[in-house]
Amino acid sequence: MKSIKVYGTILIVVALMASLVVSCNKDIDLSEELPALVPVGTDEDAETWLGAAEPDVTMAKMITAAETSTPKIFDPANDLTMVQDVNSAAYQAELTSIKDLQKNLTAEQKQIIEYWSGGGVLRWNQILRGLVARFNLPPAPKADGTYPVPDAENPFADPNFPFANPPYAARAYSYVTIAQYEALKAAWHYMYVYNRQSPFDVDNSVQSLMPETGLPAYPSHDAVLSGVTAEMLKLLFPAAVEEITLRAAEQRNAALWSGRASSSDIAKGLALGKSVANLFITRARGDGMGTAGGNKAAWDALAQNAIDQGETPWISLENPKRPPMLPFFGLRKAGVSNGVKAWRMTTDDIINNRPTPPPATASSEMADEVNEVKYYADNLTRERLAIVHKWADGAGTYTPPGHWNDIAAEYIRDAKFSEVRAARAFALLNMAMHDAGVACWDTKYFYFNPRPCQLDPSIKTGTGVPNFPAFTSGHSNFSGSASTVLSYLFPQGSDYFNDQAREASLSRLYGAIHYRTDVEVGLEQGQTVGLFTVNFATADGAD
Amino acid sequence: MFVLLKTPNYMNRLLLVLMALCSQVAFSQTLTDGLMMSKGKFCTGFLYTHDQWKEYWEGELSRENGNIGEVTTQSIMWAGNYGITGKLNVIAMLPYIKTDASMGTLHGMNDIQDLSIGVKYNFFKKEFEKSAFKAFGVLNFSTPIGDYTPDFFPLSIGTQTTNVAYRLTTYFKLKEGWFVNLSGAYTWRSNTQIDRPSYFDGNEFVMSDEVKMPNMFDIFGSIGYLKGPLQVEADYIQQNTLGGGDIRRQDMPFVSNRMNFIKTGALVMYYPPQVKNLALRAAGYYTLSGRNVGQSTTWMVGALYTFTFIKEQ
Repeated sequence: MKSIKVYGTILIVVALMASLVVSCNKDIDLSEELPALVPVGTDEDAETWLGAAEPDVTMAKMITAAETSTPKIFDPANDLTMVQDVNSAAYQAELTSIKDLQKNLTAEQKQIIEYWSGGGVLRWNQILRGLVARFNLPPAPKADGTYPVPDAENPFADPNFPFANPPYAARAYSYVTIAQYEALKAAWHYMYVYNRQSPFDVDNSVQSLMPETGLPAYPSHDAVLSGVTAEMLKLLFPAAVEEITLRAAEQRNAALWSGRASSSDIAKGLALGKSVANLFITRARGDGMGTAGGNKAAWDALAQNAIDQGETPWISLENPKRPPMLPFFGLRKAGVSNGVKAWRMTTDDIINNRPTPPPATASSEMADEVNEVKYYADNLTRERLAIVHKWADGAGTYTPPGHWNDIAAEYIRDAKFSEVRAARAFALLNMAMHDAGVACWDTKYFYFNPRPCQLDPSIKTGTGVPNFPAFTSGHSNFSGSASTVLSYLFPQGSDYFNDQAREASLSRLYGAIHYRTDVEVGLEQGQTVGLFTVNFATADGAD
Repeated sequence: MFVLLKTPNYMNRLLLVLMALCSQVAFSQTLTDGLMMSKGKFCTGFLYTHDQWKEYWEGELSRENGNIGEVTTQSIMWAGNYGITGKLNVIAMLPYIKTDASMGTLHGMNDIQDLSIGVKYNFFKKEFEKSAFKAFGVLNFSTPIGDYTPDFFPLSIGTQTTNVAYRLTTYFKLKEGWFVNLSGAYTWRSNTQIDRPSYFDGNEFVMSDEVKMPNMFDIFGSIGYLKGPLQVEADYIQQNTLGGGDIRRQDMPFVSNRMNFIKTGALVMYYPPQVKNLALRAAGYYTLSGRNVGQSTTWMVGALYTFTFIKEQ
């Protein structure tokens, strides 16, 4: 009897274990699902909203580029009647071809339509975050202890180009989203000039396989978005050209297969998107990024300058020592560096808002700060480690600016914005974070302040120590600017955004990679930078 | 423990139920070898393991990393093996693990890791004139006890997954003491969860805090000699992860990486005649090849004591 009980128990345990395996499939619950977007408004007046990239890109410049190119993309004075004639043989042939396509849609094609129904701006933001994560890897050291520099002209080599570190990423997010925003405004302009409806509106026998937006279809705003985004991404992530072009083509195909746009709607949209991208590419090539890396003499001069001020200069904590990350991305210093252009701040704005110096490295205040960091290093609780890792956003991730795009995406999705208004939201968020990156990098290299583990090597960190000076914290700047802009866009989420920003900021102290002064001053600095964008946004005519 | 020996029967039953419930007992060797505890015997003790590597495989590229130097993993593991019958054993293990890196700034980790409980069944036995052949099935279950993070490799102490392993072992022994043992297992692993909302797993960007964990298989082979108070064996260990991405150039490792290795080593078990029921165990292993793992050298020492609850008839 006893042995029967024992065997019975064993049998039950075995059965439980086996059922565990059978019952658990490994499919992952993905966050940020995007249901089909049905915008709550058309934002017909979007073309009048203030330009986000003036004076480099203006509505007038976009129109001029589109109407003076060879061949001309648009020529309303001469082609308006032709475009509006939906009974023309050419347009009717386009409709017939859509109807033929719709008869034989494969499961894969339907899936592509469903994917892009979630909203092009939101989808491209997800793709962009993935690209940043993929390319956010520092170059490996060479055998001689030096580091190769990623080469934009040879992007597939080791190391890949780019190293999408936080400043690079902040700038990339801002270029892509601002270019999308301006291109969609140009699209809105022409959509209402030509006012030609979608194929499914023109012809009842064309199925409507995407939600109807009430927007005119010529040019296709989906195609505009595919064109402008692909061009910007190819500039910023050239080694991902295959993925980028495939995705862009999918987006245009989804517009065609769904009956939302005809082939001429799409051709004009693609051309307009590319044309607007060219204006941004011109700006990007001349914005100072090309010289943001500096050279050995310039790095040594930064250290010497700190020594001359009586300070201990920052040194790399990597082995072998790595050159500082993009020292001239932000620095505004006469005769030394002009930094990368900001979107909403002038050089004077950046200098005037530069925080006052942190405690001197030899001061007792600094000793106290180091001791506090040491406390957190030695008392790394599981709760604090979770916060450190939630916000680490280090190598191989979408970076802190990507994290804030992640946070914003759910709000933008739930608001059911039109594509142009969604693009505005991402553009505002990312112009603020780019400016915060510029202002923070100015401060970091102006003071060239060492990290806690440099002053006390017994400090062990809960995440990797970033390879640039400590004061002020980049995470705090990005988070302060992002929470300020998001609080403007979504006031109902303001408490949440501010809590998240504070947590992100403190995570750097908990992880023992920043002093309290770095994170507190950095958060305020970010909030100040964010207000430049909010001031712009409240007057841009979109509210 | 001697008190336990004299306790009434219900205490034994309680212990049995406890072991059956919480599952188990298994130290890796005991799971893969061809030996069984006889009925009513409980072998338990502690094992200390010291594992260290400097070179590791970033994908298939062998390299060092000046930002971590040498990674040392030490563990103290409790292990127990109870003979429900001579053919059915329950094996349990629970390790405490501590990691450290010799260079760079990264903080070492330490915690209790996973409780493992296995049932080992000798389902086939054939005696010949001068030899014997046995076959075993082992079902092993393990689940995290400590709330450690699986998202800090190479310093994480584990993957924070619940695993179920199905193992088959064959054992052939000659009367004069030589033996050959061959064991293989397929391990199902649950997904794991990390503290961040998205990650790049080496192949793709995933918007989730849940990480899909590939299953694994392992092969364990040994040739040895067992007679009287001495057991000596040479071991071959191979583990393959059935999926997962490689560590990218200069990236950190990730929990779902394809972690493969082949190790070789030796184990000595000695029963000192002076102390009845005591077993001393020592082993050493070296990693010959691998993928997304460190090329480690491992030493292990342990002491196990066998208690008898039920006298054999």
